[in-house]
Amino acid sequence: MSLRRALDSGQRLEIDRIACDAYGTCAELLPEGIDLDEWGYPIIAPGNVPLHLVDLAKRAVDACPVLALRLVKAQAPVAVAVLPPVPSLAARPDRMGGTPPWPPRPANKAPKRRTDQRRRG
Amino acid sequence: VTARVLDGPPPAAGAESLDDHQARLGDLPGRTERAHLIRTLDAAGLLGRGGAGFPVGRKWGSVAERAKGHAVVLANGAEGEPLSHKDRVLMASRPHLVLDGLELAAEAVGARRAILYVGSEHAQARAALERALDERSAARSRSLPRVPTTIAAPPVSYIAGEESAAVHFVNSGDPRPTTVPPRPFEKGVGGRPTLVQNVESLAHAALIARFGDAWYREAGRAETPGTALVTVTGGSRPGVLEIDLGTTIGELAQWAGVTAGEGSPVLLGGYFGGLIAGADAWRLPLDPAILRRNGTAFGAGVVAFMGDEACGVTTTARIMDYMAGSSAAQCGPCVFGLRAVADASARIATGQAHQDDLTRLRGWSQSIAGRGACRLPDGTTGLLASSLRVYEADWASHQHHRRCLVRHGMARATA
Repeated sequence: MSLRRALDSGQRLEIDRIACDAYGTCAELLPEGIDLDEWGYPIIAPGNVPLHLVDLAKRAVDACPVLALRLVKAQAPVAVAVLPPVPSLAARPDRMGGTPPWPPRPANKAPKRRTDQRRRG
Repeated sequence: VTARVLDGPPPAAGAESLDDHQARLGDLPGRTERAHLIRTLDAAGLLGRGGAGFPVGRKWGSVAERAKGHAVVLANGAEGEPLSHKDRVLMASRPHLVLDGLELAAEAVGARRAILYVGSEHAQARAALERALDERSAARSRSLPRVPTTIAAPPVSYIAGEESAAVHFVNSGDPRPTTVPPRPFEKGVGGRPTLVQNVESLAHAALIARFGDAWYREAGRAETPGTALVTVTGGSRPGVLEIDLGTTIGELAQWAGVTAGEGSPVLLGGYFGGLIAGADAWRLPLDPAILRRNGTAFGAGVVAFMGDEACGVTTTARIMDYMAGSSAAQCGPCVFGLRAVADASARIATGQAHQDDLTRLRGWSQSIAGRGACRLPDGTTGLLASSLRVYEADWASHQHHRRCLVRHGMARATA
């Protein structure tokens, strides 16, 4: 996989676990950074949100029906850089070798993706 | 075995009276010396004894700097951990040492209100503290300013002792954890900065205030200074002991009359902790820093020797069921995840495993942690992961051959 570094937005996603009701909207809007477990509850990729995904992350935050998702300033800089697969995802038989979290922006593409080009989950 | 917080008459003799307590330990130091208490605690290197092991001085400091004279202190004696008894023994036998610590904490952080948070199942401890409070208000010749102190008794519950749950219970009668931040030290009881401190930590602080940080650091045989209360089970002499930190697990086994073979599995820290096994493990010092480096934890000082006769799979399945039942039923990954873990463990333990149960357990042991408001899912799956390691052959035999190694008298290879 690519070892190219993604630019750090200095922000990370945080979930109010008590408020979360497994609507799954967040994972649908931001599949690059949010996966769902077998009960429909979100698993957030570790590290900060890469800069090129911040707008999409904001949309996911706004779209949560129970307002359980927040984008917060990271307290300490956390590397977003090299992106190994999340072990918890890879270990799951139904998603063996699941997609790595926070894929770096593809080369030679416009810095800002238009939302209508997004792949639908 | 040593004696600092449990120095004096044996704990079985009941609560020490105020007169005996004063005669034995003398008065607290004067106001000018007490003004440096937070720095003294920092220098002593006292770590919290509720399970997380957070430095006590730093905790007091972070409340003090937000308090503006309006903080609240809460002595945490919920002790919901089924394997731990040290807090209730301490409260029942040394109530005045705990109250000294509570009043010192209130003065140091700038609190006008104090709460004794005592699990409602600990009747003896509560009676001792109530009597001690009466004794103190009758004999008010002491130097320490009095803080209005009330007792709160949460229902029997594993998670009632979690600090946000404690604050929640005092605020609204609901002993369930809340979403943090804000943490109690930022916004706690009545919305005020609140110091939630385990009762044993308070007792140590009361001794450090009297005898100083250098005295505190004289005890301890490895990295972390001081003494600690531990609850030991699995031997012929189970109970609560005070040890020098750094005492090895093997030495403790001797004192507790453990007959199980050296290297047999030990549960450290309680249901929230982890299993370790092997001769190397028995040589490990009971020292929070060293245990953490070895991938396990001192926690609240539970050392449970599992023995060679018990089936580790069955024991683990029972603990998983207890923990799933302890969920506050607020966060999905905990509600569904811990129940799934408990059910799969029970199926494997009773020889009714589904084909992929063990594989799924391995996955859940990694994928559920960190996904609750409190750390119940983390603690539970941490214990599960350690059990899958330590009892690897047992789990495999149960899963694949529906056969218990212990019941069939087959030798177990301990890691």
